[in-house]
Amino acid sequence: MTIIFATYVLIWPALTLGVLALICRAVWRDWCDARRQRRSLV
Amino acid sequence: MNNASLHQFSTLTVILLMLAFYGGTYLLTLGIRKKKEDADAFMVSNHRVGFGIGAASMTATWIWAASFYAAATSGYTYGVSGPIHYGLWGALMILFIYPFGRRFRKLAPDAHTLGELIHARHGSSSQLILALSNLMGSIISLMVNFTAAGALVSVLSPLSFQAGVIIAGVGVLLYTLWSGFRASVLTDFAQLVALMAIAVVIIPAVFFAMGGPSELVAGLDNLSAEQANFFSVDAVLNQGAPFFVAVLAYAIGNQTISQRLFAVKEEHIKPTFLTATIGYGAIVIGLGMIGLMALTLGIEPLNGDMNNLIPQMVSGYLPPLFIALFFILVIGSLSSTADSDLSALSAIMMADVYGKNIARGKPNPERMLLVGRLTMIIATAVGIVFASFSLDILVMLVFVGALWGAIVFPVIASCFWDRVTNAAFTTSVIVAMLVFCVARFEWVPLSGITGLIFEVLASVGGGVIIGLMAFGFLGRVIGFTAGILALLAMLIFATGFLRDYTVLLASLTAYGTSTLVCIAMSLTSREHFDFNSIRERVGNYDNHLDDGGTGNPANEPAPVSLATQR
Repeated sequence: MTIIFATYVLIWPALTLGVLALICRAVWRDWCDARRQRRSLV
Repeated sequence: MNNASLHQFSTLTVILLMLAFYGGTYLLTLGIRKKKEDADAFMVSNHRVGFGIGAASMTATWIWAASFYAAATSGYTYGVSGPIHYGLWGALMILFIYPFGRRFRKLAPDAHTLGELIHARHGSSSQLILALSNLMGSIISLMVNFTAAGALVSVLSPLSFQAGVIIAGVGVLLYTLWSGFRASVLTDFAQLVALMAIAVVIIPAVFFAMGGPSELVAGLDNLSAEQANFFSVDAVLNQGAPFFVAVLAYAIGNQTISQRLFAVKEEHIKPTFLTATIGYGAIVIGLGMIGLMALTLGIEPLNGDMNNLIPQMVSGYLPPLFIALFFILVIGSLSSTADSDLSALSAIMMADVYGKNIARGKPNPERMLLVGRLTMIIATAVGIVFASFSLDILVMLVFVGALWGAIVFPVIASCFWDRVTNAAFTTSVIVAMLVFCVARFEWVPLSGITGLIFEVLASVGGGVIIGLMAFGFLGRVIGFTAGILALLAMLIFATGFLRDYTVLLASLTAYGTSTLVCIAMSLTSREHFDFNSIRERVGNYDNHLDDGGTGNPANEPAPVSLATQR
């Protein structure tokens, strides 16, 4: 029960961290593309 | 308002924190500032926002200050399933609009607002109904976010509520005013990174500071049987169901979502919406767990105010640095939503009001920019005044919610069914609003045959919601079947029972009535609309010599005249 409860609470910050990493990686790629094409990121 | 039991920052500390936040955000926007902005970039960043920035912006926009407080309240009130019933449905609002969003984008790749698409499909009256609902929604959102800033500042420092409202309003306006949507999406990314990083740290920090899993599991005995049940009917009926009804309405009625839909590169719509769904759900449900933790340890909210729960937990279990991080978390979340509302309001006034109805064929991009910036200034002033005087917006909220519910079917049907007419759209929304008022304000007693009639209409509304959701992902046949099954289930189980839940009954009635009227009037029409003509009628306002990624076929800049037809 302890493990289940800990997982239930802590899975959300773990997921958040995963999404944060994904978004940062994607923005880094967008930024590189934008620099290569000499245009603004937005 | 100030509470000695919560950690108190000095006036100087709070001012420095807000100065650092808004000053840093403002400096960030200087990097993208152009001396001469163009109208399309100001509204939708020339339709070429990438996946990363798009997903970050969508997530940050959808998370507002109330998300944390309400999720924690839900966890505290409904127990184990509470945070899920708040965060999951909010997240699904993003997910369920995505299949319809792809259709909107396919029909009008160069649109800036959903209203422009509806204008090309039907004309001014339908478009202005949609624009009005968007305007009211964004003003309400702006006011709620400024109010949250005032409340936070007054709870954690000696500064007054009004000071917090004004600092937040002016801060958001300053960094959004010049570059509009471009500034909004760029700062959304920075704000979301801060927001997520802080959430990742704060949730486990509170969890372990409260004694860790063993202590909290021992506290589960404090929960009632309903609170301990993951499949609690109480949580479904009181928290989940009202949200479920609003899933499609919020997404259709909110220009902040459509604006991002038209701004993201077309091939990135799917990953953008999926990532935002998961991101929103994870952050909000995670912070909602703090409410559940408070419940397991039997902690009472200060002064009985549920909004104190998270500040109280952070204040009580973590050092002051974490309270400063929490402060930034809330200011970041409310600012990202407020700047999106300002951008949404300016786009509606620029494209829907000035471009389509005042300039009538000759929109001047420079004048559009002026309209957009003036709109931002006026909207901020209105938001600050409404928030400062704590004006009662309940009636406005009720009407906006009903209006959003009433337009869901006509908007979606107009994009898939070629027989829907302008008269059908407009009449169905007006009739639905009238019928909604009759039910919501109980102008007639909801008993006997009258109650039954409203329950039947509400059942149709329930069928429409389920049917549209299934249709979006699984197609016409499954959508139609799911809608009919939901209608039958509602007729069997909801009649004689739903009349006791007036708010839910009235909301569902709005859906059901607009659907029935829209279908009946459309079936009598002989019109068969050519959807391909929408693409020709909705275009960009500026010439983009460097355009590399609009939805325009062959990536050719759309001539200004395209935007000026009809």
